[in-house]
Amino acid sequence: MARRGSKTCPLCESGVRWINYKDDKTLSRMTTEQGKILPRRMTGMCARHQRQVCTAIKRARYLALVPYTGRSVA
Amino acid sequence: MRAYEIVYIFDSQLTDEQIQEKLDRFHQHMTETGGGELGPIDQWGRRQLAFPIRKRTNGFYIVTQFSAPGEALPEFERLLKLDEGLLRYLIVLHEGEPTAPMSIATRSRSEDDDDDDDSDDDGDD
Repeated sequence: MARRGSKTCPLCESGVRWINYKDDKTLSRMTTEQGKILPRRMTGMCARHQRQVCTAIKRARYLALVPYTGRSVA
Repeated sequence: MRAYEIVYIFDSQLTDEQIQEKLDRFHQHMTETGGGELGPIDQWGRRQLAFPIRKRTNGFYIVTQFSAPGEALPEFERLLKLDEGLLRYLIVLHEGEPTAPMSIATRSRSEDDDDDDDSDDDGDD
């Protein structure tokens, strides 16, 4: 996931209009194993999309769709 | 009037009828006392929480859209907070995301929890 190929934002390229904070599968791909939000130098996203993803992940965390820390539920 | 979206997480140990009854009560309050209008209701059903909330590992998710005057929200939220069976809720401004589509796709896939079967749909170079 953490790739830095093209210079353009991957979300702009695929034409994403909004980030759905309920889409835990996609959001979890934008976090590390520990559940940290991937930095822009890893995602290569534009500022707007990075900001939206950030908000979306934080909402998803509150709703227990995505863990605050770690992947497993134990 | 503004468009909002609310996600409820109910205690999954409640029966479906109890949840429905609570939901009806909330929505009745919102439409009658608060002067709001209900939008589509999407029941995700029971799913596992990413971490325990109040010692529960499962929750019953319901997503609803509604529009209401902003002044009606504090009273509505007070009602939600008083309810013991509601583990958590989130009210956000609705900005056009669907309640369902992605959640349904996620729901059908979330049963098997392999991370390897991801079909990557981002076009490389």
